[in-house]
Amino acid sequence: MKALQRLNHGWRVIATGIAFVTFGLGGLVLSVTLFPLAALTSPDAATTKRRVQRLMSASWRLFVWFMKLMGILTWEVHGREKLRERGQLIVANHPSLLDVVFLISQIPEVDCIVKRAIFTNRFMRLPATWAGYIAERSAEELIGDCAATITAGHSLLIFPEGTRTVPGQPISMRRGAAQMALAAKCPLRPVTLSVSPPTLIKGQPWYHVPPRPFHVRIEVGEPIAIEPYLAMEPSLAARHLTRDLEAYFTASLQKIGDPAHTTGMAAAV
Amino acid sequence: MGTQEIFARLRDLLVELFEVEPAKITLEANLYKDLDIDSIDAVDLIIKLREITGRRVQPEAFKQVRTVGDVVNVVYGLTQAAA
Repeated sequence: MKALQRLNHGWRVIATGIAFVTFGLGGLVLSVTLFPLAALTSPDAATTKRRVQRLMSASWRLFVWFMKLMGILTWEVHGREKLRERGQLIVANHPSLLDVVFLISQIPEVDCIVKRAIFTNRFMRLPATWAGYIAERSAEELIGDCAATITAGHSLLIFPEGTRTVPGQPISMRRGAAQMALAAKCPLRPVTLSVSPPTLIKGQPWYHVPPRPFHVRIEVGEPIAIEPYLAMEPSLAARHLTRDLEAYFTASLQKIGDPAHTTGMAAAV
Repeated sequence: MGTQEIFARLRDLLVELFEVEPAKITLEANLYKDLDIDSIDAVDLIIKLREITGRRVQPEAFKQVRTVGDVVNVVYGLTQAAA
């Protein structure tokens, strides 16, 4: 039994390596084949972007299936159809490196705010540029663009924590997502991600695979209305909404029984 | 208006607008790092400072501002120029 376990662990290290290489090379290959083809057959840049986003979503859906077939992970999605509504501001917590891959694999067309380093990464730069993903900047500069995206009927995905969650630490969010929702006067669609056992957290090397295949749970929540905040001074509204978002995700993770955020379990991580 | 009074009014403004803990507000406190005030807040703050100076405040005047003390100095300079 022990030997089998060790064999499985060894295989998952190799499979994770294969997954990383596939992901990096896959993005590059798409960037010089299907994406330019989409551009050639589209009437304008906006159509190209949407088509590339669809291709991206489809290829990442294939990629997560590939990882499942290799025995690295399993997943479940609750409320998937709610992600397909257009013109939504989607906010998610950020436990692992794979979050954006999982979410985009579930949403056919979505703009996404990504960290600036993506645009200097040799593997990610091209696909992210083709898909029109937005490099993180100060909220002040982003808000106008992002509010316009949503008003035009496109969905936008943000990870308000701004970086991956530290397991065992309380969820702490920046105010940008709240400021955007208040500027666009649109509700927030929360998506709770739970990875168990926690893996691919910040600063953890890829080959530190968890003791067993990990499970990703994606729970799409009901919209959070912003009307109650609109009467407040904008600076206070953004603070209160951000605090309420943090409370929402904390409660939601505890309800799911997330190992990294359940009271009393933090020490076990 | 002296710098003491400007500081007191600025402190009230920071508490009211941004729910900053009054104890954290010192002349040395960095607005961004210590008081969690972002660039959007800064715009709101500059608009509200009009209530202290009694005249329009140009955002350019606050380009170099980092601490609470810097804000007090800029506002003091503006009130002196107006007098």
